[in-house]
Amino acid sequence: MSVSKRQLIFSLAGLLLVLCLLDRAVAWMARESYPRRLMSRLRETPGAQVLALGNSVIGTGIVEASLDESLGLGRENGTINLGMGASWPVEHLLMLRYALGHGLRPRVVVYGFYDFQLTHPVELATRDLIGNNAMLYYVEPEYARTFYRLSLHDRIEFQIMRYFEIFADRGAVWLDVERWRRAISQQGMPPEKTSALGRANDFTLLEYPSASAFLEECGRASQLDLIPPVREIVRQASSAGSRVVFVEMPMPPAHVHSFYDSAAWAGYEAHVRGLLDGLGVSYVDASHWMPEESSFEDPLHMTYEGAQRFSRRLGEYIRAAPPTQ
Amino acid sequence: MATIMWMQQMLEYLGGARDEPPAGFPVAPGDWWFWALWWGLMALAILVFSGQSSKFIYIDF
Repeated sequence: MSVSKRQLIFSLAGLLLVLCLLDRAVAWMARESYPRRLMSRLRETPGAQVLALGNSVIGTGIVEASLDESLGLGRENGTINLGMGASWPVEHLLMLRYALGHGLRPRVVVYGFYDFQLTHPVELATRDLIGNNAMLYYVEPEYARTFYRLSLHDRIEFQIMRYFEIFADRGAVWLDVERWRRAISQQGMPPEKTSALGRANDFTLLEYPSASAFLEECGRASQLDLIPPVREIVRQASSAGSRVVFVEMPMPPAHVHSFYDSAAWAGYEAHVRGLLDGLGVSYVDASHWMPEESSFEDPLHMTYEGAQRFSRRLGEYIRAAPPTQ
Repeated sequence: MATIMWMQQMLEYLGGARDEPPAGFPVAPGDWWFWALWWGLMALAILVFSGQSSKFIYIDF
């Protein structure tokens, strides 16, 4: 049996139509993605006085109502927590720029970090650009590209993929599949401990494998400058008249004892602090503020109650401290 | 058994492992709409399952 040229062209045209429909379906699934919801909030809350930027450690660590209460702010002019899970300083910079571009003029910009986030160069591959990282495809992609490295292959792939939602927001489909997989894998099994962001044990993968590896990295990182997106966050927030507060976020006791209670970390911390002091940034070392294991729900993130207490204390600290110290 | 054999041959034909469809297969090579839909479904399957090798730690962002 053979296919005529005309039939082949019709088949390919039909396939193209199906792919276009899939593209629109993925766009529909991703319409409420977390970065888009945050950007929507920014558009609707032009009076916000405090922006909290960072990854999931800020996302789960800042309770807006508690921070507002201790800063004496109302909901209309209070805090917007822009912390996003599995995100890098580049996405944090984009979110700040989005806020400033939409007329927000926050009095305070809080930037939360842990470990080597401020000095670790952002090196990505297109396979990493899923979930919240997918915003690199659609929020100032050309500008953002100047702040992270891609291989030549990935640069080409990026330029093609950014125009198609079926590629750019493919993570929206994968997340649903992953949820099904996890639900199926739990059938008949003892329940796994989960936190607000996923399986609690999975977050140990984000920690250094050993104290010695961490200490070694302290030595290396102490020679590095702040990465460009972090410098830009400070520069652009300061230019907009905001007071910039960098917060070394609370970590669970095990993390603190294994990694932070060391001379090497103290040296790295002093190095980073010196760099930030030169930029006129307030620095808050809150890493030891939550010494109870019960304040954390996994190896990195605070429980809601822990985050409430931390947010209140941070608000009091910001209110009491002079603009730069 | 015959039905199972027929289905096996049909799947082999759809998958490209054999050139001729089994007797009674209702779709002709010229039915372009079917083949467009079929390859579209294949693309969907790739889209849905190709992310399984990705490291998913955060499930709720």
